[in-house]
Amino acid sequence: MKLRMPEMPPATLLAALGSYDLLPAIIFLPTRRRCDEAASEAALSRRAINDQRREARLEFMRDFVEQQPEIRNHRHWDAIVRSGIAAHHAGHLPAWKLVIEKMMSAGLLDAIFATATVAAGVDFPARTVVITVADRRSANGWQSLTASEVQQMTGRAGRRGKDRVGFIIAAPGPHQNPQRVAELLSAPPDNLESQFRATYTSLLNLLDAFGNFAQVRAIAEKSYAYRNLLPRIHELERTRDENEQRIRQALELAPFRLAAGAARGLERLASARSRLLELAPHTRREALLRWLHQVVQPGRIVAIGRSGKRLVLVTARSRDGVTGVREDGRTASFPLARIGRVFAPVFSTKPDKTEEAFDEIHDRGNQLGLLEPRLRDARNEEADSIKLVNDLIDSLMPSALTGEERASASGLLWSLQPEAVAIERAERQIERLRAEVWEPFERCARILDRFGYLDITSERVTDRGRWLADLRVDRPLLVGEALQRGLFAELDAPRAAALIAALVADEDRDYGELELDDAIVSVLIKFEEIAFEVSTEEWKEGISAAPEINFSAAAAAAHWVGGSDWPSLVRETRAEEGDLVRLLSRTGEALLQIAGLKQTHAEAARTAAKAAEIILREPVR
Amino acid sequence: MLFVKNGRRNDHGRKRSRDGSRGAGNRQTHTRDSPRPQDAVSPAPSGNYGRQLRELLGGIGAPKPAAFKPDPFQLEALTALEFEDVLVTAPTGSGKTWIAREEIRRLLDAGKSAWYTTPLKALTNSKYQEFIEEFGAGNVGILTGDRKENPNAPLIVGTTEIFRNQLFDALRGGEDVRADLAVMDEAHYLADEERGHVWEEAIILTPPRIRLLLLSATIGNAEEFAAWIAEVRGVHCGVVTRPGARPVPLRAAFLMPDKRLVPLLNDKGKLNSEIMKLTEQDQQDRYRGQGRGRRRRW
Repeated sequence: MKLRMPEMPPATLLAALGSYDLLPAIIFLPTRRRCDEAASEAALSRRAINDQRREARLEFMRDFVEQQPEIRNHRHWDAIVRSGIAAHHAGHLPAWKLVIEKMMSAGLLDAIFATATVAAGVDFPARTVVITVADRRSANGWQSLTASEVQQMTGRAGRRGKDRVGFIIAAPGPHQNPQRVAELLSAPPDNLESQFRATYTSLLNLLDAFGNFAQVRAIAEKSYAYRNLLPRIHELERTRDENEQRIRQALELAPFRLAAGAARGLERLASARSRLLELAPHTRREALLRWLHQVVQPGRIVAIGRSGKRLVLVTARSRDGVTGVREDGRTASFPLARIGRVFAPVFSTKPDKTEEAFDEIHDRGNQLGLLEPRLRDARNEEADSIKLVNDLIDSLMPSALTGEERASASGLLWSLQPEAVAIERAERQIERLRAEVWEPFERCARILDRFGYLDITSERVTDRGRWLADLRVDRPLLVGEALQRGLFAELDAPRAAALIAALVADEDRDYGELELDDAIVSVLIKFEEIAFEVSTEEWKEGISAAPEINFSAAAAAAHWVGGSDWPSLVRETRAEEGDLVRLLSRTGEALLQIAGLKQTHAEAARTAAKAAEIILREPVR
Repeated sequence: MLFVKNGRRNDHGRKRSRDGSRGAGNRQTHTRDSPRPQDAVSPAPSGNYGRQLRELLGGIGAPKPAAFKPDPFQLEALTALEFEDVLVTAPTGSGKTWIAREEIRRLLDAGKSAWYTTPLKALTNSKYQEFIEEFGAGNVGILTGDRKENPNAPLIVGTTEIFRNQLFDALRGGEDVRADLAVMDEAHYLADEERGHVWEEAIILTPPRIRLLLLSATIGNAEEFAAWIAEVRGVHCGVVTRPGARPVPLRAAFLMPDKRLVPLLNDKGKLNSEIMKLTEQDQQDRYRGQGRGRRRRW
């Protein structure tokens, strides 16, 4: 039901709104660039209009400049004074956005072209809000607006005390969808949903405060997220109890005494037996493949085919395939099944070490080969286990029964299997749900333990962890490791700023290609190694990889701290002012956090304090 | 081709010359500086369309100036705050801040102190300014990631992260956060993917002796949310919602490509059939356009 009408030219749109007395208006457009373009286009067309508020606007802005000098030479200045039309989006300087907001509130503007970001936060209403798109551009492409977003937008329509009615107007546009807008307008408000999660900062602070995991867990289980799991847990508990009740009743009615746990015992044993049966290899080939799955790993040398002459050093494993380096240095990929022999030692996979590895196998290959299992051995192990399980199943029956009674007892137990299975399943799910909120904290704890910030066994935060708890930055472990390894000690202010900017910047935002000096590059490379180490540990715990560090952001921050003036920084980075301010003020905030670690990292704290002071100068504040 | 030329538009134009005086009714409310460039298409308000348009735009303009009188929901929230936590849900601009301001005034007068958290630095700065004007610079401090002024003032404005950090510090140092009231503005940020967890941590860790006032946009599950807060803190949390939702009524319209303004919905609350026709027409055009442009190769 999309309506692919071309967008109305901004001047035409404003003229139409004006003719219905619907100004002032906020017009939402999908991109920052469209906002700027639309504002300039509309401003141009209104050159001839005689607006008495022109003087008032000029005066207002002049007053404002006295407090916020950085907007004095803004490129939109003249257009706004002349036309009373402005653009407002996250690409602008905060001070500039503020003056637009204030002028709008003072009734000095007729229209603002804005992206949806203006919908959140700061309050500046208009008589009319215009929606030209039913979609919003997000990190994952175009997405439909949500009911809450539309509500935030319409919340700006109708000024209290100035309007008797507010208007939301859908206008034609290439992504317009009147049907969806209508639906979203009448949709009930979205529910508030928890986004609670484990963070290093919260774990360290809570553990340091309480001194044991049980209390930290109790806090985590106070979360709204946990509370929302409770109805599901209760439902599962009901299922479990009902099935238990059914089993108990059936057993009570039987003419012989069977323990209440027998049905569930049978279920566990039976499912263990079927797992074993599935696992037992039936052919030599199967047995061999299973063995290869276990032993082929990166760093080991394998021989392809039976002859054992073509050697490959394994560098990576997929489910059924292998990638490695051949002796001539070329890469080879092949299925696991082609491997004939596997050698015991695990070598480094670094390119300069491979020759040594192959030499060793050539020298002592005969002693180093791993013995592959024989089929009979492999099967015997499973068969023994299965027999054991069968015996256990037998032992569940009461001993003093006749053959006939035994058969009927066994029949009864088997007939109760569906209930027993339901109980097992419910209990597993309950356990999983219970762990859902806490488990991520455990993962964080294991990682922090590995890097020495807390000690899992004694449930204590280490000295190192105590200062990390005080470091309230976005990726504390990375910054902590950089500090811990003395990376900051050797830095001056611009380089310290560069390092932090590389970390706090959005991964995919580009701040131009300013040159980085060698010293910064080498620090960043060291930092990348740390980042790699940290994310490897995180990845092992199933924590998704942290974003890459942003070199162009580092360059921008280094230049700013190195003394560049704002206009040249903007020009040379080709970044939008608002984005630069956000990057630099986030960098400044993180540096201030490091500056707080005077007790433990005096030198780094001093550098960070100095860098923060330089970075947080006008217009970054 | 930008806009569909609509025969009816010309029609209306002619009719308007006959009874233009009525149709121009709403144009007289123009302020002198409203734009009237050449390409503005005047509404042609006669016949069916005219009636519809007058209905749509009826009452537009400024209300008579009236002395400020608090809404009943604002007073209700203030009363409730005397003995319990309060979650206020109401749309932007309906006077949630007034409630916080009055409660803060009461506390400051009694020599007590308060924390006011917001999710955004810009919002924090503007609240700081607002409260300085209201309570005097000596009584207000600000704490954000890069700004720290008057941190021992009885009223602190700051980001939720800083408030949460103070709660962490207090917990570790065994001290108390100095506040008798914590206001959490834009409390629906709890659902923010990146930062929402900070709000939850703050709510869980705020000692029960500190009264909580949460100001939120309209949400679907306010009662459930309040029930959680009460469970966590052991203090009852009342929900105050602005009845009738919006302080200023809202009307929805669609601006047709020919610049006529039509209601978005019909009387039954369904999409206006005129807009429906437009979308169908658009679909057909596209279908035909495809047929011509793209010859099937097989």
